[in-house]
Amino acid sequence: MKKADRIFALICLGLSGWLIQESFKYDYMTMYTPGPGFHPFWLGVCLGLLSLYLLYDTFRRKATKEDQESQLPGRKGLVRIGLIILITAVLAFLMTRLGFVLSSFVFIVLTLAILEKFKIVKSVLYGVVLSGAIFLIFRYWLEVDLPKGWLGF
Amino acid sequence: MDVLHSLMHGFSVFFTPYNLWMAVVGCFFGTMVGVLPGLGASATIALLIPFTFGMNATPAMIMIASLYYGSKYGGSITSILINIPGENASVVTTFDGYQMALQGRAGAALGIAAIGSFIGGVLGTFGLIFVAVPLAQFSLKFGPAEYFSLIIMGMLTIVFVGGKSITKSLMSGVLGISLGVVGADIVQGAPRFVFGIPELMDGIDFIVVVMGIFGLGEVLVSAEEYMKMDSIKVPFTKLWPTWKDIVDSRWAILRGTAIGFVIGALPGAGATIASFMSYGIEKSSSKHPERFGKGAIEGVAGPESANNAACSGAMAPLLALGIPGSGATAVMLGALMLYGLKPGPMLFTTSPDFVWALIASMFVGNVILLIMNLPMVPLFALSLRISYSLLYPIIIVICMIGVYSLNSSMFDIWMMWVFGIIGYFMKKYDISGAPLIIGLVLGPILEQSLYRALSLAHGSILVFVTRPISATLLAIAVVMSIVVSLKTIKTVRKQLSDEEG
Repeated sequence: MKKADRIFALICLGLSGWLIQESFKYDYMTMYTPGPGFHPFWLGVCLGLLSLYLLYDTFRRKATKEDQESQLPGRKGLVRIGLIILITAVLAFLMTRLGFVLSSFVFIVLTLAILEKFKIVKSVLYGVVLSGAIFLIFRYWLEVDLPKGWLGF
Repeated sequence: MDVLHSLMHGFSVFFTPYNLWMAVVGCFFGTMVGVLPGLGASATIALLIPFTFGMNATPAMIMIASLYYGSKYGGSITSILINIPGENASVVTTFDGYQMALQGRAGAALGIAAIGSFIGGVLGTFGLIFVAVPLAQFSLKFGPAEYFSLIIMGMLTIVFVGGKSITKSLMSGVLGISLGVVGADIVQGAPRFVFGIPELMDGIDFIVVVMGIFGLGEVLVSAEEYMKMDSIKVPFTKLWPTWKDIVDSRWAILRGTAIGFVIGALPGAGATIASFMSYGIEKSSSKHPERFGKGAIEGVAGPESANNAACSGAMAPLLALGIPGSGATAVMLGALMLYGLKPGPMLFTTSPDFVWALIASMFVGNVILLIMNLPMVPLFALSLRISYSLLYPIIIVICMIGVYSLNSSMFDIWMMWVFGIIGYFMKKYDISGAPLIIGLVLGPILEQSLYRALSLAHGSILVFVTRPISATLLAIAVVMSIVVSLKTIKTVRKQLSDEEG
């Protein structure tokens, strides 16, 4: 946890520096009121101070039991999370190309077959039923405009 | 009498078949959300918002509000039957609820949870009326300076009360406000932090962020934990609690309601804290505290009443001041703004039909939930048999549709994907997501109040301390900060002395 806090503090410190630097591109004050740069500047300052405090805190505080435990799952868990993130990206990538129905079918089949170790036939079956059902509900019942692909659906 | 008259008017606005249907839909979804793991109230409300765009504000908010308090009913079902809380606010219910179920009294536990929730919800709504109306009248005196101080105070309370690390919660809040800076600025209309990306010109949509952090992020966390839920092992045949059960828990229900309402109405503390407090009080005031944890019915009745009363209480600052106290109410605030309503002190004056119909719907919604939850519990329990392996791909696909339907934009989908990954790490490392959402929703209002206050005062920053109400609010914020930092100093000293000793 300490290490994670340190990383979080450093990321935020970087962000705060960037906020402050960006804020100089806009007017800090207009006649009587603050300009567009006022708010981001002070947000950057607050974030910076808080990050410095968190950083200082990670060096000062005694490691608690929680600090010593790793928060991340083991290798297996990380691979699983990574795969879900990846397959979700594939879904997003395919959506405008294959259209909603096909891409969600691919997504469900990939998730069930690779991650959940379903048999391929079962995965395909679930994929057809679920992507079809979701499509019908959202397209025709809720009348949502879903992305269409080359095939027109 | 004026209030009673307004309430009657609210009922007359509410009672159309369409509004009633929306309340039923909201209650049903709310219960399902409570039962199913991996999708909380905040994410589901955000998910529903795009589908309500074609609707009038009143039925849309009726549905959203009933989903919000309905989720607290549903949360108790999993707590009692399989010892897994469907919602944070139902964690306490597992202590005695599951024990009761193991003893063959699942029906009594579920029944008393539903009855307690009902009483808590209804009495809480009465409380809401009696707090929100004077609060809204008082806050009519608020100018931009007061509003600025109020938001500062509100956000600080949220951070101080909730979340494990105050520093990290504060940072989360500041990050949220910073995200709110993106887009055309309110003074000159100049694009800020847009970097030439046209999609960013309107700012970052809070719905996208909520769906990422609370939707996709939550799914990642639950999917990692290999949510292999046990199927229900406990028998439940008798669905109703006995008369003795109800008599035994009457004081627990009433005390839980009072605690829940007060805690819920304060910003920051929400249903979860209310339920824990109620459990603590029931245990310490009981003549037989040793029964708690072994299936004491008061241990179910009190917290379940408290978490529903807290939901009603949380509506008071939301409707009367426009200040949300939790992630879910922040999403509701965002929804109100999308429907073109201006939340804040003027809401009661400018949109009385809307406010009173919403309050009236909360009475009816609780009746619907009681009816749904007593005889239909076995039906909801059936949905527990759906394996999580099937559930999470569906949730991800639906999140995508929800975000896409906002602006038909792939940019939003990729943004949600990024926030999903961020949300996963936030959850893992105890960085509370609620302050970020609240900051994102309130940030632009905060900036606007600041500018208005300063321009009215010709640039004098003293305006925040010379106006009495604003000064009082800021003083409260300062005192709170000192108290909290003292506590921190104390623990630091203790650590130092531990090291020396």
